Amino acid sequence: MDTRRQFILKSGKLVAAGVAAAAAGPTVFTRGAGAADRTLKILQWSHFVPSYDKWFDPFAKDWGAKHGIEVTVDHVGFADVVPRATAEVAAQSGHDIHMFIGLASAFEEHVIDLKDVVGTLDKKYGKQVDLAYRSTYNPITKKQYAVSDMWVPDPGNYHKRIWTEIGQPNGPVTYEDLVKAAPEIKKKNPQMQIPIGVGLSQDIDSNMAVRNMLWCHGGSIQDKDSNVVLNSPETLAALDYAKRLYSVGMTQAVLSWNAASNNQAFNAQETSYILNSISAYRTAQDNNLPVLENYFFVPALKGPTGIMLASEHVMSGYVVWKFSKSQDTAKEFLVALIDASRDSMLASKLYNFPSFYGAAADPGTPMSKKFESGAAWISKQCNNDPFGSKPADKLALLAKSIPWSTNLGYPGYANPAEGEIFDTYVITDMFAKAATGALSPKDAMTEASNRTKEIFTKWRKKGMVAGGSKDR
Amino acid sequence: MDTVETAVTTASRKAPDTLSRRDRRLGKLLLAPALAYIFLLVALPFLLALFLSLTNSSAGSLEFSFVGLQNFKNVAASPVFLRALRNTFIFTLVSQVLVIFLGNILARALLKQFRGKLLVRFLVLMPWAAPISLATLGWLWIFDSTFSVINWGLKVVGWLGPGQWYYWLGDPTLGMVAIITVHVWRLLPFSTVILLAGLTSIPSEVHEAADLDGAGPFAKAFQITLPMMLPILTVALLFGVVFTFTDMNVVYLLTRGGPYNSTHVLASLAYQEGVLGGDVGRGAAVAIFLVPLLVVMAVFMLRVSRRSEVT
Repeated sequence: MDTRRQFILKSGKLVAAGVAAAAAGPTVFTRGAGAADRTLKILQWSHFVPSYDKWFDPFAKDWGAKHGIEVTVDHVGFADVVPRATAEVAAQSGHDIHMFIGLASAFEEHVIDLKDVVGTLDKKYGKQVDLAYRSTYNPITKKQYAVSDMWVPDPGNYHKRIWTEIGQPNGPVTYEDLVKAAPEIKKKNPQMQIPIGVGLSQDIDSNMAVRNMLWCHGGSIQDKDSNVVLNSPETLAALDYAKRLYSVGMTQAVLSWNAASNNQAFNAQETSYILNSISAYRTAQDNNLPVLENYFFVPALKGPTGIMLASEHVMSGYVVWKFSKSQDTAKEFLVALIDASRDSMLASKLYNFPSFYGAAADPGTPMSKKFESGAAWISKQCNNDPFGSKPADKLALLAKSIPWSTNLGYPGYANPAEGEIFDTYVITDMFAKAATGALSPKDAMTEASNRTKEIFTKWRKKGMVAGGSKDR
Repeated sequence: MDTVETAVTTASRKAPDTLSRRDRRLGKLLLAPALAYIFLLVALPFLLALFLSLTNSSAGSLEFSFVGLQNFKNVAASPVFLRALRNTFIFTLVSQVLVIFLGNILARALLKQFRGKLLVRFLVLMPWAAPISLATLGWLWIFDSTFSVINWGLKVVGWLGPGQWYYWLGDPTLGMVAIITVHVWRLLPFSTVILLAGLTSIPSEVHEAADLDGAGPFAKAFQITLPMMLPILTVALLFGVVFTFTDMNVVYLLTRGGPYNSTHVLASLAYQEGVLGGDVGRGAAVAIFLVPLLVVMAVFMLRVSRRSEVT
């Protein structure tokens, strides 16, 4: 039991912390003064660019110190983000904020609606980029189940010398370029193990690569209204393409790749083209690898339909659990994190792109100009890489990546069914089976389509996914 | 006097009873932690898995409804599940045959006296002591599709010509070979130690008597060593089989079930479907699919072991 003196001291500390928090900046969230609200536990991935974590952890702690809140940040590997969330939901305890690097939609039922946070950010910075919105909002339940502070473009990485040798110094432009180039690359570089390194394995990068192929051939898993449309001539065209590409330019190595494998293969100059964010490039820079002078980037490739699209490489989705006792504090932190979008992008060495471009705007920019101002600042960084790219504008194409970047679930919204299909590798396996001849393209498509419909039906029954009337 | 005698007699009659009751109480007390452990960490999760397999429970939700045997019907119709089921049997059978065979050789070698025996023993036990995640990372590099040291070695000695390469983790068959290799490497020390204990427990007089009777090496192996080793061999086998049937570590760390879900075993598929994919009901159905078979197998092997006990 507290003595009267202890009680007065404690009350004084609470009042002081409240005053300090109020003084630190205006807030839309009313924070309670309970003991739980004085702590904030964040589960964060271990960033692919380690310098980001060195920025994030002190940033979170400093924010906490300014607001009288004890902040704890725990990191897990990217593969443990979902299993950890599953465990915390089952236990109904754990962290207050959980960061997903893919889809958080399956956990919608257990997270609070962050509409007010996004509303605040909209008022401060203008609208977020569409792919971030589509990855964090469920139009069926009208719930903003996550808030995205950043996303990561997924360009093509090509080996300039090798592509110059075959007459394409600026790298591939279309998917057909890969098929044409592969035999020539093999001829001129017989020591190279995998002329074209597009992953077809059960890993995160392959999951994105095969979606890019599918979309650029006009196919998709769902339509904009969440009807399953995988069973289509467009999907078949994409699978036929994958089969051709595999036979001329790839080996079984791409069937076994993990998230680091394509980086390692490219950095060891064992392949001439991969689909990846700039983390592999930063590794090459940090270690001054021989590949560095030939390390260049191209935008998403164009398919025969003229569609040119790539999936985001990472889409952050911060959720606040319903079981959290620090929900308002968590909301305030998320706003503060997005306020720091410029620092975040620089700390990640231009890996992170702000989901709210306006948050990177010059101070004092009027609301109507915030998006353009933020975009201009981002372009400035990419056009003159502060982290030593040679030439300095090597990453310039990233500044223009929004038009060719999209969300998982394209052309619809991300949803739990898309998430389950992603996490159980239904699409990568379809491509791998068709490419290697383990199944005919048609059989691979039918098998994947059946499983896809099964998954969609299950989530529709739970009322979290729409569509169904026009399933193919 | 009478009273004293009666009291002594009563006390002496009661004493053994009290002692045996105390023994029983102590026995129960000593057994309680083990029973509590088994109930809380084995029985309860198992019952929960059984329960979940009959529901449409998903990872992001605490609400569910009963779907009967629908999850079992769905998984039984899935080609990925059927492949995983087949792999589980291949994985268990091949790895256990190899573990028992190689364990026997090692145990017999370690029975002999030779220089450096202590070092060999230490090296044999190393895989058992090493954390599996760390060890598998080493194996991941050994079997890496692009940088495999085995391949580079084979290339240097001329086994692999230009353009020839083994894609250990990118080919369904080679993937299973890699998985079985690592699992055998991992279980071999345990099996060796158990078999070594069994071999040393056979009294040397039995072998000496057989020598006097003119028994040859085969007769001694099949009529003395094997029958006397059968109880311990069965325990080693039972442990190995159950452990292998329910293990997902090696598969998950090496191939993650790939390429195209062709190297999954039931445990790794259950993890992929239930934890990563979030379909807890389906994952639970995959996980407990083999429980009836394992129970029958365990009962059978324990009976064999009991019958063959040397008295």
